[in-house]
Amino acid sequence: MNTCEKIRTQLGLLLYGELSFDEEEAVDAHLEGCAECRTALERERELHAALDGQQIEPPASALWESRQNLQRLIVAEHTAAHRLSWWDQFLDARWLKSAGALALLSIGFFGARMFPGLGLGITGMSMLDPGAQRVRSVEPGPHGGIQIVLDETRQRVVSGGLDDQNIRVLLLSAAKDPSDPGLRYESVGILNDRAQAAEVRDTLIYALEHDENAGVRLKAMDGLRPFVLQPEVRKALSGVLLSDGNPGMRTQAIDLLTQGVGEGTGGQTGNAVDRDLIGILQGLMNREDNAYVRQRGERVLQLVNASSETY
Amino acid sequence: MAQKTGFQVDETALIRAAQEGDQDAFGQLVRAYDQSVLRLAMNLLRSPEDAQDVYQEAFLRVFRNLKSFRFDCSFHTWLYRIVTNLCLDQMRKRKVRKEGSSQVEGADGPVDRMDAVPEVSAQGDPERSMLNGELRQRVKQALSGLTSRERMVFELRHYQGLKLRNIGEILGTSEEAAKNCLFRATQKMRIALGDFV
Repeated sequence: MNTCEKIRTQLGLLLYGELSFDEEEAVDAHLEGCAECRTALERERELHAALDGQQIEPPASALWESRQNLQRLIVAEHTAAHRLSWWDQFLDARWLKSAGALALLSIGFFGARMFPGLGLGITGMSMLDPGAQRVRSVEPGPHGGIQIVLDETRQRVVSGGLDDQNIRVLLLSAAKDPSDPGLRYESVGILNDRAQAAEVRDTLIYALEHDENAGVRLKAMDGLRPFVLQPEVRKALSGVLLSDGNPGMRTQAIDLLTQGVGEGTGGQTGNAVDRDLIGILQGLMNREDNAYVRQRGERVLQLVNASSETY
Repeated sequence: MAQKTGFQVDETALIRAAQEGDQDAFGQLVRAYDQSVLRLAMNLLRSPEDAQDVYQEAFLRVFRNLKSFRFDCSFHTWLYRIVTNLCLDQMRKRKVRKEGSSQVEGADGPVDRMDAVPEVSAQGDPERSMLNGELRQRVKQALSGLTSRERMVFELRHYQGLKLRNIGEILGTSEEAAKNCLFRATQKMRIALGDFV
């Protein structure tokens, strides 16, 4: 192979910038003194230019369609995997072995959690019976709206305000979802803004009394704060004082039930603290192990001139 | 690879999050690369359906195997390795079946569905569009004369702009072998398009 032939084999690589420094130096030096090879380089450039722009650009619709299909496939795959995982958990869970068939069915249903989505664009499906779905997550949206992610045969996103009945029903259901404390926490947090509605208040009270997660219970207590004078709320808070295992919850319950005590104006006076509450606080003092809770309780009892001892 | 850019740092965080099960991070990874994956598959296979099949399968494999990704190479290289293997498989299958890629039987004879897909240039100039159409046919013929590997290397270098070293890494071969492959491909293209350019 003579020099010109060798140089011409390198012209393509020269245009692609794939020659080493030394190779490029040698080609450049040769081109300076060889008109035929410079012509060959021009032809090579024309070839490259002709090939440029021949690339096919996928239509946006193809990309969109591909993303949708991918999301469906992954949701299906994730669901299958998750169901297996739930089954495994079920087999391992000893406490479930004694549960009845109905409970098992219920857990199986709620346990079928699905992939929450890749954000690849599946929205706008119609609403179905919320009872046949599972709320995966809730979060505040812009302009006071709420975004709820549902798990069902295929996932979808529904949006709407807190006063939208569908949204409300889903949130109430999500607030009691036994499998996801994070979901319950977010749902209760959002529902707190509508605690004036009896159905919402009932759900908050239920969460306060029954939720196994202290964060969710505390959140529910926050929502009930403005309604602390209502008998059903006081009853639930008294229950917290007596039976909640979390000292932080008991402290908060004391604070809420005795709001304004000792302030003299506007709040509860010593006389206004109901006898039942004094009795409950005195009962609490008898068995409270936590020093801080004891201190808070004793302080309230001193303010209302009641003894720390049980009558 | 060159030095780490901000995106690469973010990408590492995204990959780690996706490995931990963060689906939003996985979605971001998909969106970062899926357009170029679909473009590569569509240009190589010249069939929208086959390209979409490769797209689905590639990202499903990523989804299934992401936890085992150990950052031994860049995510891009790993992903492209999957995509190019799928495309090569598809091209080999076609060769066995001796199928054309994008031709379907129309009312007036065979029609190439990829002709309906716009190329990157040819924007609004009828003469240029006609010349491009003709050139496109010639390029298509020329490309069909390449072996699967030559076709792959040419596509990755000329249209995807990857360096030969990276192409070698993706295809599991040396930079030198990729260079030879590219040389053969361009030589064949030059011969096939010789009187047109």
